[in-house]
Amino acid sequence: MNATEANPGAGDMGERMLDFAAYVLTSARALYREPQSYGPMRLADTLEKGLELLQSAGIRDETVEQAMAAVRESRPVAMTDPDGFAEALDRAIAVLVQATLEGKPKA
Amino acid sequence: MDVLETIKARRSARSFTDQRLDRHIVEAIEEAILHSPSASNAQESHFVIVQDEVRIRHIKRFAQGLSGQPAAVVVLCSNHQEALARGGADSADTLRFINLGVAASAIMLTAQSLGASSCPVRSFHAPSIAAITGLPEEVKPELLISLGYADKPPRPKTSKPPKEMISFERYGS
Repeated sequence: MNATEANPGAGDMGERMLDFAAYVLTSARALYREPQSYGPMRLADTLEKGLELLQSAGIRDETVEQAMAAVRESRPVAMTDPDGFAEALDRAIAVLVQATLEGKPKA
Repeated sequence: MDVLETIKARRSARSFTDQRLDRHIVEAIEEAILHSPSASNAQESHFVIVQDEVRIRHIKRFAQGLSGQPAAVVVLCSNHQEALARGGADSADTLRFINLGVAASAIMLTAQSLGASSCPVRSFHAPSIAAITGLPEEVKPELLISLGYADKPPRPKTSKPPKEMISFERYGS
């Protein structure tokens, strides 16, 4: 029995994992030659795609989603307003710091 | 739509509906490609029009700059050997890329004039795209253009002041 037979959704998950791995590695390879400002954008998109992958496996975290709200809002200007995007990243990080100080997530 | 209106209306689209591209748009793009000029008439460019959903997904996998789910992707390729043989060193070093740029503009404006949107993409892993589209060794992918029907309005346009982009008679005046 392969993974797909054991879990009918596993085949699609396998495709999604390939999508994700290829995106991350292709992005990493390209960043040697792309503008520096592409780096934060690619990392934010990598996180977004990673979260989508986890969500499709039924894993979701409210704190991370709350942090990502700021990133998603500023994502369209990641290239045109790098300072604005940096501030959005700061706001997202602040949410994670607050959660850390509050001891989230609870075991 | 007249030419200037089409140029002004064209904006890069990064999110598309799931509607397939109308056949007449693909045919018009084929015509636009065939009527694009090339320096010294070297015709060293090649274009792979991809509409198969699975192949598009595979291209997207190795094209991190290709956003959304386009209905089609045009892979704009160049043949260095053919450029050198038919157009000389200038074509091989420089002009073949200008030729692709001219063709890219024709493709995007043709799509725009017929109600479709597009986005030029250079962020991709060239050897992977070559493998997926079955390119021979001497033909390299240099640019992708995604095509489809945009499902979101374009972002506000930002551009330099005209004086920084256009001079009359002498630079800066």
